[in-house]
Amino acid sequence: MDFDALFTLILTGFQKASIIALIALGLSLIFGTLGVVNFAHGAIYMVATYFAVYLVNQIGFFAALILVPPIMFILGIAMERGLIRYFYDRPHTDQILVTFGAAIVIQEVLKALFGANNIPFAYPSWGLGPLPLHEYLPFLDSVWFPKWQLLLIVVMLVTAGAIFALLQFTRFGLVVRAGMRDPLMLRFLGINITQKFTLVFGLGALIAGIAGVFGGPVTQVNPEVGMHQLVPSFLVVVIGGMGSLSGALVAALLLGMALSFSADYSAIQQIAIYLVAAIVLLVRPRGLLGQKGVME
Amino acid sequence: MTAQAEQPAGAAAGGQRRRLPAPSLREAGIIALFALIVFTLPWWLTAIGGYEALATKIAIWAIFALGFDILLGFTGYLSFGHAAFFGVAAYTTGLMFKHVSGDVVLALLVSIVVIAVLAAVLGVLTLRRAGIYFAILTLAFAQMFHAAALSIFQEWTGGDNGLTMSTKPALFGLPMQGLNVFYVVAVLLVIGFVAARQIKRSSLGLMLRAIKENSMRLQYTGVNVWRYKMIAYMISAMYAGVAGSLMVVYEPYVATKFLHWSTSGEVVIMSVIGGVNTLIGPMIGAGFMLYFENVVQAFIGEKWKLILGLIFVLIVVFLPGGFVDGFNRIRRALGIRTKPRRPNVPDAPETMSRYHDSKNTPAQTGSDN
Repeated sequence: MDFDALFTLILTGFQKASIIALIALGLSLIFGTLGVVNFAHGAIYMVATYFAVYLVNQIGFFAALILVPPIMFILGIAMERGLIRYFYDRPHTDQILVTFGAAIVIQEVLKALFGANNIPFAYPSWGLGPLPLHEYLPFLDSVWFPKWQLLLIVVMLVTAGAIFALLQFTRFGLVVRAGMRDPLMLRFLGINITQKFTLVFGLGALIAGIAGVFGGPVTQVNPEVGMHQLVPSFLVVVIGGMGSLSGALVAALLLGMALSFSADYSAIQQIAIYLVAAIVLLVRPRGLLGQKGVME
Repeated sequence: MTAQAEQPAGAAAGGQRRRLPAPSLREAGIIALFALIVFTLPWWLTAIGGYEALATKIAIWAIFALGFDILLGFTGYLSFGHAAFFGVAAYTTGLMFKHVSGDVVLALLVSIVVIAVLAAVLGVLTLRRAGIYFAILTLAFAQMFHAAALSIFQEWTGGDNGLTMSTKPALFGLPMQGLNVFYVVAVLLVIGFVAARQIKRSSLGLMLRAIKENSMRLQYTGVNVWRYKMIAYMISAMYAGVAGSLMVVYEPYVATKFLHWSTSGEVVIMSVIGGVNTLIGPMIGAGFMLYFENVVQAFIGEKWKLILGLIFVLIVVFLPGGFVDGFNRIRRALGIRTKPRRPNVPDAPETMSRYHDSKNTPAQTGSDN
């Protein structure tokens, strides 16, 4: 395999990982802090794509990009305050059930409002067409890669970087990371952990909002999208190790590569990610970067 | 392990592990009443706006939900992947009808063998983890079968179009159509119900419920917890498989939807709205949901799914015990004494605060390895 083809395959792997990685980051963040598996996270992403397609058509792409993530942040907070917080005391099964129910309700509301059909979400004109990468990178001979897919990779890397910086270098991040370790101790120290966790839920929704704006044109906009994206995102979170953000990223890339490198065998591609998941979980039941004692 | 006394008449079974409490008159009465309700279903269902074929569908889904309760209700393991068993059994039966013969018994037996093997493999993969992991893993592997049916097995499954066949299934020469199908399904449902009740009364059932209470403690007492989880998983998969096969006997067509996560979701919804760990609850849930889907839909149109979703969420929030719990609450409010849910534990309020700290104390979250 020559280097150009390999490079293209790796880029494709990154691109395929990008949307899943963004959704999985939110899932993992919410799970690691609140301990809630959010079956409605796919639905949150789906709501973001609906907002995005509507706003892009009304007021343009950049205005939508500025508006959608904050809207999702507020919706996320509303969801946590209105529904999820009553379930912290309840068994995990109930948390799964209520978020699953919420996902169904969101899906059906969207179906009732906008119909079951696909809503066309066009790429902005500046995002169309391929980019000649060999003009920028001297070690390539001739590699053309779609602009939008490149943008997705950049967005994924920037967002993930921002989240890591937020968690590593700010006081908010310090509290959240401490809360992931031992929430009770934090409460003893007099920190309003509930408020922080509400913000984390909003943050997860905000990331889904970013994913929705950039991913909408790729995943399309219809009431099935939510569940469709949720399953691979869950896989990524489990493979990476529940609650481990870097694990989720690594696992997303692993799955992206599996999808990309199996593309020549189109029949296998559909189940490639599940096979990778099965192998990883047989070898490391805790996930790639999962820690002992987290959420067992 | 003494078999826990479900009722006074069965209390004599102490000491021996395998012996069931002696079947009591009450037990026989319950089964007879159940059989009566099931076998008259086509008539009283028609009286409340349904139709005969709906009775068959309800009975099939009741088998599915009943088996699901053996896993979710007894052991507390929430599977989001039972569509795999339902769907694979349906495809197996469909392929048997299409390529071998329309013999229902043969197709059912082959399906059951296939499902047993499948459940063993998936059990090894998914039962390694409990709780949340289990739910996600079962969901993922079931979706794998859905994806496989649409890709690598497309030639066998017919892909998106589903599997169609011209064979007319028959049971010992009796053509499977109309009420004939219903009676076959009803007989299997009653057998399934009796078997599930026997499991619940047996020491196996006690073990399964012990897994739900505290599987780690159970493991410390030297019990091979994994083995019991596997047994429960396989039994529950068999019920799902039988239901999937019967679905094809009822209507000789296999849709890819049978393998889709929404099928798993439906059986979860049925079980929860009916009331888990009651056996009767999930079956009521199955009836309610199908009645809603087929009869109520005529009045409210496409929004039935939304309303059902809202009912589901409301029940999860306010009435975690489902319809059966609601019924018991009404009875209690009317001053009728009911048995406590767990005979040796007083019905404590479930609002003891475990706020946030539960996740760092493994014993409370049902860890097992």
